[in-house]
Amino acid sequence: MKKKNLNNVGFQGTESELLAMTRELDDMHHDVGMPAMWEGVSNMIDNLSDNTQARSTSRRTFLLGVGGAVAGGAILSAGLSPLLAGAATLQKPATSSVLTSKTFPPAGLKGDLAVAAVAASLENLAVYAYNAGLKAATAGKLGTVPPAVGTFVTTALAQHTQHAEAWNAVLASNGKAKVTEVNPTLAPTVNADFAKVTDVAQLAELALTLETIAAETYQAETSKLMSKAAIGLSASIQPVEMQHIAILYYVLGEYPGIQTSGGATLAFSPINQAV
Amino acid sequence: MNVDQRALAELLEESQDLQADAMRPTHEALDELVEVNRAASPSEPNENLQFHEEHKRGVLSSLTTAPLLAAAGGLTLVGALASAASASSSQDIQILQTAASIENLAVATYKTALTLPYIGSSSANAVVNKFARVTMNQHAQHADAFNAAAKALGGKAQTKPDPAFVPVVNKAVASLSGASAAKGTLGVVGLALELENIAAETYVKDTTLVASSVNKALFASVMGVEAQHVAVLLAVQALLNAGAPQLISLAPGTAGMLPAAAGSVGFPNAFYKTNTAAPATQGAVK
Repeated sequence: MKKKNLNNVGFQGTESELLAMTRELDDMHHDVGMPAMWEGVSNMIDNLSDNTQARSTSRRTFLLGVGGAVAGGAILSAGLSPLLAGAATLQKPATSSVLTSKTFPPAGLKGDLAVAAVAASLENLAVYAYNAGLKAATAGKLGTVPPAVGTFVTTALAQHTQHAEAWNAVLASNGKAKVTEVNPTLAPTVNADFAKVTDVAQLAELALTLETIAAETYQAETSKLMSKAAIGLSASIQPVEMQHIAILYYVLGEYPGIQTSGGATLAFSPINQAV
Repeated sequence: MNVDQRALAELLEESQDLQADAMRPTHEALDELVEVNRAASPSEPNENLQFHEEHKRGVLSSLTTAPLLAAAGGLTLVGALASAASASSSQDIQILQTAASIENLAVATYKTALTLPYIGSSSANAVVNKFARVTMNQHAQHADAFNAAAKALGGKAQTKPDPAFVPVVNKAVASLSGASAAKGTLGVVGLALELENIAAETYVKDTTLVASSVNKALFASVMGVEAQHVAVLLAVQALLNAGAPQLISLAPGTAGMLPAAAGSVGFPNAFYKTNTAAPATQGAVK
């Protein structure tokens, strides 16, 4: 892991202006963007459902359910040992089934629904890691945390929560159980990597890896999914993960765009890290 | 702003090296794409292989021989963009041509921006300068790829900009005339942001519209790159508006100085919208 200097020197002067702008953007996001966005996602799910199996969840139920989940925050985890050396304490899942990579995606899920399960598990893993990072930072285990990094983590965490809920709503709409577990294939690696994290730069590097895997997986699936609705959902999430990646690179002092491991910028994002 | 000229020169050199390195895998990917498309549509085998390089030369040639905007004069893009695009054959071809037309406009816009001293000269912010150069190059590669895919399906290459957005760009470019460096940079960033977001939203939508899985993969490989451009421009715009251009920097320690809001301003939505996506056939070849 590369060591980066993220010293907090402190922002002078115009923080209030920037915060005001961001608040305005955030207000617009929640007042206008969010309902419209969830409406769009629910339409996708309706369309997906029309093409697959009978729904057990109405659109209204979905909208209410998602709203509650987004407000609620934490995603559950199973299949992960209590990692992070005490850095994070995660909520236990309601049903503590421990999945392995051999049993994932769960039996009975095929095609687009299996992809939905994998996507939800990846999002859960991201939520898990960001939550753990926040917890470690709050406990003072990562040294000084730049304000921008804190905002990045909380915002990215909220968005990954929404992504997970969207995929779980797809599963629920098709009468399938929601995936509340983290991805069992990647969890051991993330677990091991997180145990080595001692500062914010290392956390950012780990986040970069997770975001890259998520973005590349969505990218790969966009051309493999069958349902137009699922393609639309996948395609609406991939660019957001890519935006997370850009800002992470910026925070790390590297060119803020997709690049090779050697730092060469790329005009087309690859899929070699897709799961 | 204090500019370390040597560091800037190194950055520029590095930028060129990065481009050369980056082009390699891109060409390989593009060649692969063309191969796959040729397998699906056996027409024009040799033309497809030659197209990428030929079209790139054509674009670069037109850009260098017809400057779109005098550095200080604020001229319009009308001369180079006079005959814009319109309609074609199959749905995928039209969508690809429209995408190419958006990329052509983006290339022209960045090319123009780089003639402005506060974007393209040695006194410009090093990150903004590098971003403009790298991004222009990436858009040229995207245009090449979309046109190669359109040709592989039997369509024509789109070398014109999207006709619907040309007036928007012209108006924005005209407004830069006589602007100060600070206001001019903000104007360029705002214009680029608008174009990048249109591109990203269009390609997100296009993944659901194109029939071929190869073309879906192509749009999927580009949409996120445009979204990253949007994220960077949003962050740059916010820092400029906040009067903190010195924080548009990749120097060690910068992250620690960034205001909290800078950590999230680049990704305002959890799901990428498509409400400003260009209509699928808007930039198709007539």
